[in-house]
Amino acid sequence: MNGVVTPPRVLLDALADTVVGQEAVLESLVQALIAGGHIVLEGPPGLAKTLACRALATAVGGSFKRVQFTPDLLPSDIVGTRIFDQRSGEFTTVLGPVFANVLLADEINRAPAKVQSALLEAMQERQVTIGPQTFPLPEPFVVTATMNPLDSEGTYALPLAQMDRFLVKVLVDYPKPDEEERILQRFGGAQPALPENVVSVADVLAWRDQAHAVHLEPRLAKYAVALVAATRAPHDYVERGASPRATLAIAALARARALLDGRDFALPDDVRAAAPDALRHRLAFNYRLLTDHVDPERIVTDLIASVPTP
Amino acid sequence: MDLFAPFVAPAAAQQLVRLHVRQFAMSADPLSLRVGETLRLRIVTRVDENLLELDNVTLPDLSGFESLGDERQCTTAYRGSQCVETMTLTPTLPGDRTIAGATLEAIDARTGRAVQFSSNTVTVHVEGEPVPNYFLQALFDGLIRPFLVLLLVAVVGYAALWGWRRRPKPVAPPPPVAAAPPPPPAPVVPPLRSLVDALAAEPTRANALAVRGELRRSIGAREEETLADLRARKATRGDADLDAALRATEIAAFADDSRLQGAIADAIPPLRRLAGPPAEAVL
Repeated sequence: MNGVVTPPRVLLDALADTVVGQEAVLESLVQALIAGGHIVLEGPPGLAKTLACRALATAVGGSFKRVQFTPDLLPSDIVGTRIFDQRSGEFTTVLGPVFANVLLADEINRAPAKVQSALLEAMQERQVTIGPQTFPLPEPFVVTATMNPLDSEGTYALPLAQMDRFLVKVLVDYPKPDEEERILQRFGGAQPALPENVVSVADVLAWRDQAHAVHLEPRLAKYAVALVAATRAPHDYVERGASPRATLAIAALARARALLDGRDFALPDDVRAAAPDALRHRLAFNYRLLTDHVDPERIVTDLIASVPTP
Repeated sequence: MDLFAPFVAPAAAQQLVRLHVRQFAMSADPLSLRVGETLRLRIVTRVDENLLELDNVTLPDLSGFESLGDERQCTTAYRGSQCVETMTLTPTLPGDRTIAGATLEAIDARTGRAVQFSSNTVTVHVEGEPVPNYFLQALFDGLIRPFLVLLLVAVVGYAALWGWRRRPKPVAPPPPVAAAPPPPPAPVVPPLRSLVDALAAEPTRANALAVRGELRRSIGAREEETLADLRARKATRGDADLDAALRATEIAAFADDSRLQGAIADAIPPLRRLAGPPAEAVL
């Protein structure tokens, strides 16, 4: 490392050159990468979720692995396994796709709970134990998982405790008409070109150090706590509020957003902007939400809006 | 759950719709209420097919309830439909009332056979109210109520008469007193100007926060609005100085101590243009 760190804005610009529109999604991806967390993207098929994750890995220059989650997947398909070598008479360890800088867990809710657990354990511990040996995962290690909210038949919903392991849940929505026209003009049936390797893994690790040093005023920390506390107040549709992990996530994302904006201090806007991504997957809603046909995103937005800014 | 009870003769099956039924359930809210109060009974049907309406649903026997309204709605999702029938009911009799399950007749797409799907039953606890005593009611309506009305009129009339007799005698107005001369007007210093003066004289975070608060108040910022919100709704109405002052005081309020003086120095010029020169200079 020559001591010169490429600013994270370069990565964001490279992703924006590949993925048309979806600026908020790309920003969330880069912020989560800086904050050192894992990401779950939820949206209908065909909205460039996989492309965005792949572009992120390519632009960072790290190793990238993709696992399509299916009902017959086994934990060893993710973390690796031990194979008996008849010639040497010994067991050898074959590492699974989890040993990558960026792992794309496509349609994570299509695999049964034990596979999800194996992956989520690796996400939390950042190491994997196969037989008698423990293997540390590479740094940075980011899991980008995708979920399709529409086709829920034959899926295994991730429990709240496991969703909590993801730093952010980002909603991917349909592009605007002008963006869709640009998609048509740019690609027109051809495979979209992935960005070049514009930053290094060392840059990402340096960003993380810089993000830790971003100043978060005590009043902003209180604001983050108040946002999470608002989710725990009695509510018609919220069964259970967010955990303290959400508070940590909001603070980490606010710092990352400030760094992405070229600042070494966070503002109320950073905290507020981080809140939806950090909270939406950490709330447990009750049955009334379904029976009254209420959009859970509206609940999250209203809860955030109910907290005065510092 | 016994959803797939075969029953229908093959001849009748020809008029039925072929459905892949995922859910056929009934619920009531609330499950405990008093006579005269209302409850909502919902029958939810989820099928894999796209439907505009769902016929062949037979409602349960609702004796002991009076129907106040009935609404049917089918919504089509990415895959399949959900049809919800909502009835507003009011119980007429107390006790535990069990509403038998609704039924749906259709051709089961899984088997190709005509079947009758049955929903779950719902038990509602209805608390009674005292049975009215019609004799006492008639007595009250015929005799006691007119008497009470007359009594009320008499009391009000007497009170008005008593008050008129005890009314105060008119008093002559006091002689006019010469008004004291008004104090000399204090120099009017707008709050923002005085706060900017204080910030310039003493560049502290507390003074920066005070200026920020006054700026936000002056443009009608709500307490939940951030700087981005204010800019999004064009609260500054294109005033570049106001925008710059808001931005600079925001930084002064939240930057670390090493940046505080620089941020305040950046904030003073646009603030001066907004608030005017220092108060001493005017005096």
